[in-house]
Amino acid sequence: MNLTLSIGFAVGLLALVTGCASTPRQNAGIDEARAAYTEIERDPNVARSGAAQLRQAKIELDRAQALLNEGADVNRVEHAAYLAKRHAEIAMQQGKRADLEEEVSSAEERRKQLMLQMKSKEANEARMEAEALRAEMAALKAEKTERGMVLTLGDVLFDLNKADLKASGKRTVERLADFMKQYQERRVRIEGYTDSTGSAEYNQGLSERRAKSVQSELLDQGISGNRIEVEGYGEAYPAATNDTSAGRQQNRRVEIVISDESGIINAR
Amino acid sequence: MKPHLSLTRTLTTLTLATLLAACAGPGPKPNSELQSAESAIKQAEAADARRFEPVLLNEAKNKVADARGLMDKERYKEARRLLEQAEVDAQLAGARSETEKAQQAVAEINSNIENLRKQINSNQQ
Repeated sequence: MNLTLSIGFAVGLLALVTGCASTPRQNAGIDEARAAYTEIERDPNVARSGAAQLRQAKIELDRAQALLNEGADVNRVEHAAYLAKRHAEIAMQQGKRADLEEEVSSAEERRKQLMLQMKSKEANEARMEAEALRAEMAALKAEKTERGMVLTLGDVLFDLNKADLKASGKRTVERLADFMKQYQERRVRIEGYTDSTGSAEYNQGLSERRAKSVQSELLDQGISGNRIEVEGYGEAYPAATNDTSAGRQQNRRVEIVISDESGIINAR
Repeated sequence: MKPHLSLTRTLTTLTLATLLAACAGPGPKPNSELQSAESAIKQAEAADARRFEPVLLNEAKNKVADARGLMDKERYKEARRLLEQAEVDAQLAGARSETEKAQQAVAEINSNIENLRKQINSNQQ
């Protein structure tokens, strides 16, 4: 009975001792350090940019484990574990940073592309705008002169010896109004001219009335008055000879000078 | 003559023993560790750790200060441990600051790109 008890006791003790020996020693600091290390061990960014710190982490981790296994002072174990964890953390940051920097440089490339795209888009738009303006001017039948673009309303657009615009004349002024609505910075100067038939006084009056008739049509179309200048020149500045009927017809006219984009018009 | 000689011998032995004891006790002064920790702190500060990681940076500085106190008391072994920790603390503070700055650079350039994209799209309309 006594013997059996002794044997049982011995077996129990043996089992306990064996159990202890086969269980690796544990330390919370080492566990933390190992977790930090395992997390980044296979991270390609860390491999590229944090290799030295990663290696340092491994060395300290192994050292901590060895110290623990040989039963060294717990302060020494935890110190080594602390260093291991820190080195792993530093390695992780270095990997992250390298990854972010790569992202920046590829984003910079993308930005460069976009800026190029934008520049060409802007150039394209400017070109299209200029093209549109040219087309508008052409539609108005405006001619380029040394005073700028000039639109001439011929005698046929007015009633004979009268200032009233005919329907066809009104249509032309309407187109001009549309143009001025689209190009808000443009102003016009309306100039009336006649041939030399009749008295100079009458001709002066007629030229002014015709110019004003165009002006009031523009105002009716909603163009603001401060964008319009009016002048009657009478017989002055003939465009052709007054000796032939064809020449005189050319001289009876209203000229509309269109300003440049800053609103400036060269007066005669 | 003879007792005098024995006295010298005794003295020499004593001195040697004291020296040995001193060496075995606190170990060598951790001067190089102090230097490393301080240069790591300087590098972290150059990486703007004062702005991005002030707590960890202060921890490192406090450890150096404590280590200096221990060195004055010739407790070199403890001082060395603190200095080694201060060095990696400072390195981590610097590394985190660098990461944070890179993060900000990414955010900045991405919003830049977003703006450009918006402009290009609005121009198209």
